[in-house]
Amino acid sequence: MEKTHNFVCFVRGRNTPLPRNLQTPSHRELHSKNIFGFLVVAGLLMGVPTVSADESGKEIFQQRCSACHTIGEGRRVGPDLAGVGDRRSEGWLLKFIRSPQTVINSGDPQALALFEEFKMVMPDQALSDDQIRKILSLIKETGATPGAPVTMPEPAQAQPAEPVQPVPQDEIELGQNLFQGKIRFANGGPSCISCHHVRNDAVIGGGILAKELTTVFSRMGGEGVRAILGGPPFPVMQAAYKGMPFTDDEIRALVGFLQHADKEHAYQHPRDYGWGLFGAGAGGLVVLLGFYSVIGRRRKKKSVNQDIYDRQIKSE
Amino acid sequence: MTFNNFLFIALPYIAIVTFVVGAIRRYRATGFKVSSLSSQFLEGRKLYFGSMAFHWGILAVFAGHLITFLFPTATLAWNSNPVRLIVVEALAFTFGLSVLVGLTGLFLRRISNPRIENVTSRMDVAIELLILAQVVLGCWIALGYRWGSSWFASDLSPYLWSIVKLNPQTEAVNAMPPVIRAHIVGAFVIIGMIPFTRLMHFLVAPFHYIVRPFQLVMWTWDRKRVRDPRTVWTQHRPRNN
Repeated sequence: MEKTHNFVCFVRGRNTPLPRNLQTPSHRELHSKNIFGFLVVAGLLMGVPTVSADESGKEIFQQRCSACHTIGEGRRVGPDLAGVGDRRSEGWLLKFIRSPQTVINSGDPQALALFEEFKMVMPDQALSDDQIRKILSLIKETGATPGAPVTMPEPAQAQPAEPVQPVPQDEIELGQNLFQGKIRFANGGPSCISCHHVRNDAVIGGGILAKELTTVFSRMGGEGVRAILGGPPFPVMQAAYKGMPFTDDEIRALVGFLQHADKEHAYQHPRDYGWGLFGAGAGGLVVLLGFYSVIGRRRKKKSVNQDIYDRQIKSE
Repeated sequence: MTFNNFLFIALPYIAIVTFVVGAIRRYRATGFKVSSLSSQFLEGRKLYFGSMAFHWGILAVFAGHLITFLFPTATLAWNSNPVRLIVVEALAFTFGLSVLVGLTGLFLRRISNPRIENVTSRMDVAIELLILAQVVLGCWIALGYRWGSSWFASDLSPYLWSIVKLNPQTEAVNAMPPVIRAHIVGAFVIIGMIPFTRLMHFLVAPFHYIVRPFQLVMWTWDRKRVRDPRTVWTQHRPRNN
């Protein structure tokens, strides 16, 4: 019995750390000291601003707003912002610009009316109150001098609003190759299917990280799409194309393809990749497990002492 | 905003510093305990498939993340062909599922077998659950936010490099869906926990075994007696069990 006890104790030996009285003092202090140090570092790091504070209102406006909004040049994807400071209170604007979705969800009637009118939600903007105030004061200044709208360097302006025309076939093909990456963007940006899906037989199922673009052309119009491609207002897209803007030809081809895809989407039956991908993974796993059992067919199937252990547990 | 800064700026640095300092301290203090206590001696049947599926899976998945982080441009170039993109994603998901199935098996084995239970510390259970959650999120992202290899290369790779270059750019990460943000946070928490868990063993992987000279095994039994029909020895070499 003595023997059995020792054996079971051995088998059941715990993986415990050193007893406290055997640890050196530095051991014990290690954790508290480290944690204190890291909290200090954390405190310092949390103060790091993500956007430099000395940007002018005009710079911020160009970077964040001008893709969808103008000041005094009419509506684009979103409303014309001239005089917005008179129409809405500053508190409302601060809240809305930071997170339009939150304001809409809270049931704010003005926000709901905007959503009804424009059929889309403006993306959240990671801007500080100071930065938003700079933009608002820019809008106020610009609006105060009628007849002198801010002219933003804008690819969309090279092409004035034209009636929807059929797109030449070669441009559609170029757009579709650019969209799914068969032809890379000249400045090295990622292909659109990384994040976007379009219901079209000619391209593979696109990503679903970002919005589906099948009907983007009718939702935003050619000018809206061009404006977004010219200066993406969405943070994720902005980061992806940082320093790698689209060329004018690429934008024209992409807009052409999206227009074509929008028109044709009712007749398209592309493959669904959701379950296909899952099936491929599950099938692959079965193959892997089969492979493991083949290469391990001569492995030791049970522990050396399993029989002894079972016998002794039985006799206990 | 401040909470985001904590999650995506402070936490990564805390995790990396904890990992480096903690690993060095643990190795210097109790170097011989830097391992993951093997339990093959106690239970081998379930261990084999669980361990193979988990370890080969995690090696492949980790390599995928690492390659995309280190070579985003090359990854995008590879993915520019739709067929190659689909092949990579299907393979990555296969290994992801392998990790999920293997780890689930290992976890069940760990909590259901009394012999294993006795060599299990609370930290083992904690880290296993954490990795399990991380893998579930990863598989979810692979299916629910597909073509992750491409958007990782174009959005998360720059973010991780901005951390490395001590100039964190978190705007894209802040705008990502919650599942992806949770996966990123989980990754940094796990990195920070390495020194306090059995995960330390990957730092002492016995790579020298690959190039180690052969070991000559000598048997001490008498060959003549083995073949003698009057002894209990059979013609065949006895197996270990």
